Amino acid sequence: MSTVARLFNPIVRISPFIMMALLVIPVMGGLIGVMLPAFGWIPALDQTSLSLNGFSQLWQTPGIGHMALLGIGTSFVSTFLAFLITILILASYFTSPWLGYIQRLLGPILVIPHAAAAIAIGFLITPSGMISRLVSPWLSGWNAPPDWLYPHDAMGLSIILGLTLKELPFLLLMALGALAQPDLGQTLRAQHKVALSLGYCPITAFFKVVLPSLYPHLRLPIFAVMAYASASVEIPLILGPNNPPTLAVAIMQWFHDVDLSLRIKASAGAILQIQLTLFVLACWWLLEGLVCQFAKSMLTNGRRDYGGAIIQKITHVITALMMAIIGLALVGMLLWSFAGFWHFPDALPQQVVMLHWQTALQQMHTPLIDTVLIALCATALAISLTLLTLEAEQHSGKSLSLLGSVLIYLPLLIPSIAFLFGLVWLLEQVNSQHTFINVVLAHLLFVLPYVFLSLASSYRRLDPRFSIVAASLGATKAKIFFRIKLPMLIGPIFIACALGLAISFSQYLPTLLTGGGRINTITTEAVALANGGSRRISAVYALMQMILPALGFLLAWLLPKMITKMLSKRHQQG
Amino acid sequence: MRFAKWMLFSKTPKPIVHIIATTALIISVCASLWTGEADAKTTGSATWSDIEARGINQDVYFHAWGGDPQINRYIQWVAKQVKQQYQINLHHVKLTDTSEAVSRVLAEKSAGNNTQGQVDLVWINGENFAAMAKHQLLAPNWVAQLPNFSLTDPDNNPAMTRDFGVPTQGMEAPWGKAALTFYYDTLATQSPPQTLQQLSEWVKQHPGRFTYPKPPDFLATSFLKYALIVLNNAQPEAIKNRLYQPATAQSQALLLPVLWQYLDELHPYLWRKGRHFMSSGMELRRLIGDGELALAFTFSAAEIPAAVARFELPDSSRSYRMQDGSLSNVHFIAIPYNAAHANSAKLLVNFLLSPQAQAKKQQPSVWGDISVLATSKLTAEQQVWFNPSAQSHPSATIANQAISPALSEPDPSWSKVIAKLWLQRYGVMQ
Repeated sequence: MSTVARLFNPIVRISPFIMMALLVIPVMGGLIGVMLPAFGWIPALDQTSLSLNGFSQLWQTPGIGHMALLGIGTSFVSTFLAFLITILILASYFTSPWLGYIQRLLGPILVIPHAAAAIAIGFLITPSGMISRLVSPWLSGWNAPPDWLYPHDAMGLSIILGLTLKELPFLLLMALGALAQPDLGQTLRAQHKVALSLGYCPITAFFKVVLPSLYPHLRLPIFAVMAYASASVEIPLILGPNNPPTLAVAIMQWFHDVDLSLRIKASAGAILQIQLTLFVLACWWLLEGLVCQFAKSMLTNGRRDYGGAIIQKITHVITALMMAIIGLALVGMLLWSFAGFWHFPDALPQQVVMLHWQTALQQMHTPLIDTVLIALCATALAISLTLLTLEAEQHSGKSLSLLGSVLIYLPLLIPSIAFLFGLVWLLEQVNSQHTFINVVLAHLLFVLPYVFLSLASSYRRLDPRFSIVAASLGATKAKIFFRIKLPMLIGPIFIACALGLAISFSQYLPTLLTGGGRINTITTEAVALANGGSRRISAVYALMQMILPALGFLLAWLLPKMITKMLSKRHQQG
Repeated sequence: MRFAKWMLFSKTPKPIVHIIATTALIISVCASLWTGEADAKTTGSATWSDIEARGINQDVYFHAWGGDPQINRYIQWVAKQVKQQYQINLHHVKLTDTSEAVSRVLAEKSAGNNTQGQVDLVWINGENFAAMAKHQLLAPNWVAQLPNFSLTDPDNNPAMTRDFGVPTQGMEAPWGKAALTFYYDTLATQSPPQTLQQLSEWVKQHPGRFTYPKPPDFLATSFLKYALIVLNNAQPEAIKNRLYQPATAQSQALLLPVLWQYLDELHPYLWRKGRHFMSSGMELRRLIGDGELALAFTFSAAEIPAAVARFELPDSSRSYRMQDGSLSNVHFIAIPYNAAHANSAKLLVNFLLSPQAQAKKQQPSVWGDISVLATSKLTAEQQVWFNPSAQSHPSATIANQAISPALSEPDPSWSKVIAKLWLQRYGVMQ
């Protein structure tokens, strides 16, 4: 303990810098590593002169405008929809117990990896999918699947559906998290009550009283979601069109093309992707400004009701529809994973077999072990760094600067497809043999921000009086940290762990690129299988993708209770 | 029974090893005399027994497309065998697209990693091979060192040393052969098209029930090459032969118009009216299972009965070859120039070319990939291993197999040209 105590303060002092370095160096290095090839500098292809060839090749790509528009359109529309539905749900159920139920139902959806969600939605909406089978042939008259272009429609409607369903739980839980802060939540609820007593309809009261104060807390999550959506690959790859695909998917394909000179174009594409993401964010920011301008006068015009009853009904319908889609998608996936041959238009398979689970589980053990190991390493690192950084805040008595907060968000705000390829190149320069470490470091970029966000508020809200009392009794800072703060934070720490694990489980692109195909996780396998020949095996993998994070959260819920029990027993005996 | 025989092989007593090694040495010397090439720089004048001594007890990272569970299982079987024989730990790195391995080796080359490459062995052919050869990413002149390579009878079998018509120069060893096979659901159609011309009539009667993947998918370019060859069949020999030379502007102008004309007529009757083509050829199988398609094609015919057994294809599936020809090719395995475990990879390749490994691979229940070994080079006992076992499902019997002429692969440049022009014409929906 004495060495720990001696080393504790210096370690705490440097950990914010280590954390920042681990986030900033890979992202910035990755950006440099993608800039150089974009301007034509690839020594491997004997190209060492700077040129704009990559960009001119990019402009000449057939359908490049369409690719860019598809990326912009799907991310903007889906984020807007997710935000709108979040607000509608909050407004309609602000004072009802339903808000809690919805939160509990949507929580698990949050941790379903994008790839699994895309696979599940795909099973639902294809012409031979679940919905089509439920209405055939008695209603639709279809004895063979209709020849509709959905999913994979050129407008990206199926991508929007997938992204909206994935983003909505995140935004809603972020909003509820903000409302859970005692100072903000209590004030707003009290103000909402006052507005109701002044005769405002509940929905109007929410929009005029709660939303203006709540929105600033949602801005960064919205930006993160939007940035992610504009450059994500799993959902567009599985549900989107391919003639042309979204820019992000095209970039990934160019990087992997047989024609190695395409990497120059791909790098140029990555630069364009960053600009697109910034453009989408700027659009949102503009829209926000416009709404502010126009809505300001409405806040104080005294109107009590804007058709609240109708809005409430619409919200009920949307909420029910969403729950139905999610439920049906899950049922469909379960059925596929046990299905024998399943003729269209039968709503149920002819026989139930265990074969696909057996086959998949036989193939799965290595990816499964890798998935869990990587997630555990990345999460353990993230939790340690986060706790030490937060402790450093309390030592110095000031919280992270704005720059610090932005840096933590950096990997979430810069499209990962843009810097990951550069990062691979960078890792190649440093070491090429430690694939596992590379993958863990890449996962850390995405796990750390979420873990930090999830822990920061609980840590900062710890009652300082405990520490003061302990210090006055002569306890060192190290002792206070290990014996008082950590036991008090056991619940939030485990939740943050579960979140970190879930984020790591769901990473596709970072694993694929930094692992160089050597490290297969459940997610990389699931995406590879999604466009493969077997719906059934694909369903098993997607279900596995959901089971893993669910187990994580179950443990996070059970373990703190057990540990607290054990500790209190020890205290009683001691 | 057969399996037991292979087990004997893996427990060969020591003296026999010496005999084999000496024979191998003689064969490899003859082989290198035959190719008239010096050995690769890294191995110097290594004999097979040197390679064996250096190659045992190591890891080998085999980068191979991992989209077919049957193939993956076969590779797992190989892993068990080489573990027993050479203590080699074979790791199958499952690629979704072989070009991933190509770009990995390229990235290593650009980083100056010339000895510790992560890819020890890669399964390639055609275009990927042409790309890797062009960028000098492959170890040259090693195939002739393998004792078992002579069993493919390369002197009398030019297909073993030419990949899509391009000389392999000892950079890759043949692994198997495949031919384009069509399959259909008898509940959806009783009389599938037997020729390319019949196909265009058949789709008009069954709109939306046939499609092909989007280039540059391997199955997609294969279908387009088959169409290109058949459509130009009536042309004079001199023009037809240009398919087997690098594509030039002139030869494209002579050969391609008929293909585009055919496709323009075909597309409105395809699945999704030709407005969307699936990205991966594997999806064809799933869409037959979903009842969306009635007719599809594959390069690995054995996947059809296997998929029926896994409930992924209807029991009413049947397979056949087109009467106007089946595109056929050999697929290869190559060692990158910077492989960290090149010697172990050679031991592995030599095992993959052994009669027992090739016979196992050819079983329809295992993989159904046709052997590259020449029957004349095998003992009578070994030849028996290649006899087909009792067929399980009717779709394991391929109709027209005897009468469908084998169509050789055009020069690899054609795949690229076709894919590029196809994407320009049809790749972006207007």
